[in-house]
Amino acid sequence: MIEEFKNIINILARPYIMFPAMIVAFIFIFPATDGLMKINRRLGLYKLWTNNGGIAIFAFLFLGFGFGLTDPNFRAIVTKPDNVPIVGLIFLVVFFLWFALKQAWENDEREAKGLRPNEAEDAKENILVWPDLVYIEFIAMLLISALLIVWAIVLKAPLEQPANPTVSPNPSKAPWYFLGLQEMLVYFDPWIAGVLFPTVIMLGFMCIPFIDNNRKGLGYYSFNSRKMAISIFLFFWLILWIFLIITGTFLRGPNWNFFGPFEYWDVHKLEALTNINLSEVVYMILLNQRLPDNILLREIWGILALLGYFTLTPLILAKTFLKNVYNRLGPLRYSIFIIFMLLAASLPIKMFLRWIFNIKYIVAIPEFFLNI
Amino acid sequence: MSDQPNALAKFLDWLSKTQVAKAIFRTGIPKNRRQRMTVMLNNVFLHLHPVRLPKHAVKIKYTWCMGGLSFFVFLVLTVTGILLMFYYRPTVEYAYGDIVDLREQVPLGIMREIHRWGAHLMVITVWLHMFRVFMTGSYKPPREFNWIIGVVLLVLTMLMSFTGYLLPWDQLAIWAITVGSNMAGATPILGAAGPGSNLLALGDVNFVTSASDARFAMLGGRFVGEGALLRFYVLHCIGLPFIIMIFMIIHFWRVRKDGGISGPV
Amino acid sequence: MTETKPSTPSSNPTPVPQPPTMDRRTFIKWSAVGWAAFAAVIGGYGTMIVRYLFPNVLFEPKQEFRAGLPEEYQVGEVSERWKDAYGTWIVRDSEKIYALATICTHLGCTPNWMQNEAKFKCPCHGSGFYMTGIHFEGPAPRPLERYRIFLSDDGEIVVDKTRKFQQEKGEWSDPESFVTV
Repeated sequence: MIEEFKNIINILARPYIMFPAMIVAFIFIFPATDGLMKINRRLGLYKLWTNNGGIAIFAFLFLGFGFGLTDPNFRAIVTKPDNVPIVGLIFLVVFFLWFALKQAWENDEREAKGLRPNEAEDAKENILVWPDLVYIEFIAMLLISALLIVWAIVLKAPLEQPANPTVSPNPSKAPWYFLGLQEMLVYFDPWIAGVLFPTVIMLGFMCIPFIDNNRKGLGYYSFNSRKMAISIFLFFWLILWIFLIITGTFLRGPNWNFFGPFEYWDVHKLEALTNINLSEVVYMILLNQRLPDNILLREIWGILALLGYFTLTPLILAKTFLKNVYNRLGPLRYSIFIIFMLLAASLPIKMFLRWIFNIKYIVAIPEFFLNI
Repeated sequence: MSDQPNALAKFLDWLSKTQVAKAIFRTGIPKNRRQRMTVMLNNVFLHLHPVRLPKHAVKIKYTWCMGGLSFFVFLVLTVTGILLMFYYRPTVEYAYGDIVDLREQVPLGIMREIHRWGAHLMVITVWLHMFRVFMTGSYKPPREFNWIIGVVLLVLTMLMSFTGYLLPWDQLAIWAITVGSNMAGATPILGAAGPGSNLLALGDVNFVTSASDARFAMLGGRFVGEGALLRFYVLHCIGLPFIIMIFMIIHFWRVRKDGGISGPV
Repeated sequence: MTETKPSTPSSNPTPVPQPPTMDRRTFIKWSAVGWAAFAAVIGGYGTMIVRYLFPNVLFEPKQEFRAGLPEEYQVGEVSERWKDAYGTWIVRDSEKIYALATICTHLGCTPNWMQNEAKFKCPCHGSGFYMTGIHFEGPAPRPLERYRIFLSDDGEIVVDKTRKFQQEKGEWSDPESFVTV
């Protein structure tokens, strides 16, 4: 019975099931538009951000971990010293997500009643920094020092075997905060996943204040008046950042194969990963002929697809789905915004292409190290 | 404060009136409103703060304390890092042994643990700080520029952590750095294995080779070895802390100059 | 302050001596020269610092080694004998012997030879290669590289790691990339 339950969880945890499921759930939990907001209301999902919702979330988390720890495979991964920060990260992120959104929904309700946000009530009063802030800082410093010392005494810092340049540990993992990048490396070439995307992520984050021209919600927690901005940010931060790190830490085992949370890390697990390029799909499967020798002719379909993706989609979206966004942002902001969005969306798109069609590269020119 | 001052209070009162105490603290024990304001202005460290704040700004439920904690953990890392440097030699021959000795032979033996866990903690607090700043909309005008500085600090924090990762010279270290440095090798144009690298060539002579590309500059060699360890050590202990401090100064300065901590208008 | 002389009669017709002037064109010309020189010096310093990061002499392990007689390798075998010392697999198939680099073409990890599945599998991101070095799964963009290999005068195999042969450039047909037996 328990074993069957664990098997079901293992299957549900597979990326091609869990990832789409999370995206769908995300859309309703963090509604980006008025229409989705209505559905969210009707389903009662906003109740997650109340005290009872918080208790429910944490009961679920603790039960999940408690149940998981009875399983030797799960325990072995989670209690590894190097993974402790990530377990801590999960609880902290969930807690602060709940804490921020609880205050946001409270403020939204006040706004609906025509009241000012909670913070504005507090802000009416001025206080002196000495002693009211200084002592808070002092206590915070004491607590965090105590935490660090206890942590350092209880858990040894990870140290593996001395370096050996000829034996890669199996699996070899980057530092945990880079595991999101390492996960992207499975789907993209190093120059994209390791150079282009980090740069784009950095630039994208820096552009946030200039793209988001909504002046509401400055200086207090809110959701309703900036739901699009918050939903997009949370999608990146929760799914493409935190969740990919968790996947990389807990669910990627030997040979970088995928393992469910209750699965034994078998070094010899076989997984057929035979991948093909788009050019091979077009010429060899659809047209049933040899690959052309000319590189440009060979890759023209992929190049056209990419050009279309980055030029036509923005135009079409501006006329249809994102009409309101276009009107609000204007042409320049919209162009920057949509390029970042398309680059970001290329990750899930590439994932699905890999899972469903085994596509490896859209454009593959290994002669010039240029694979996309 | 109390009607019958006890012995300790009397002693403190006397102490604060001595010439030495006056010379150091100027203000005396801050008891009344005026003294509490001047103490903030007179002390160079406390002067980081404003004198008074709207009440919401000191509430933990608004700030989560994450920015302040990031800074404090950074200070802890600086102190423990300096202490670690007394025992650690950045060479392939000694590095691993020195790390083992730091735990086994050095008194107390938890300095490296504090440094390592502190580094993890700082990454987490910096992320949560960013999350809080986003959720309160604090990146909106007039604070756009400080958000950019914040993103730079986030990246620098992760680079600090990454360079520190190599120093124990264990399996985790060299393979993380192998992967990381090969990504640098895949940089377009500047990396030997990156797209466009063969565009920079005169006839048969390639300018971007494994001995002259971005990866080489990072490693100081064609393999992860002695040169890489030394370069990462210098970056970790001097180079990046220097840069991160400059950006922190700008960050804190701009918090004050952009109107203090954000709040409802 | 001290130069103010109110006593000077204002009716004095002698013209006030003008400071030497510079016309607009000359000013722009000289400031362009000045700023160009400044930029050149800064650029020069920058270049020097970048060049400083690339040393002239490298102290790296020897790149050539003797790998024994061809008879020591069996047909269809992937020999891991030189993997630890020199980062090379010696592979012998029915007609030739070649030397594969133990560097994954994805991000430089060392793949493991898995005898049962007859493939090289990289532990970092799961790239898989056939015995020939051709990639067939995972993110690796191209096949493993082969090293220059030849027989010395006394019949021993010598592997020279300074020269690499890449399949996607059609270099595996180069006679220096294998030894026929």
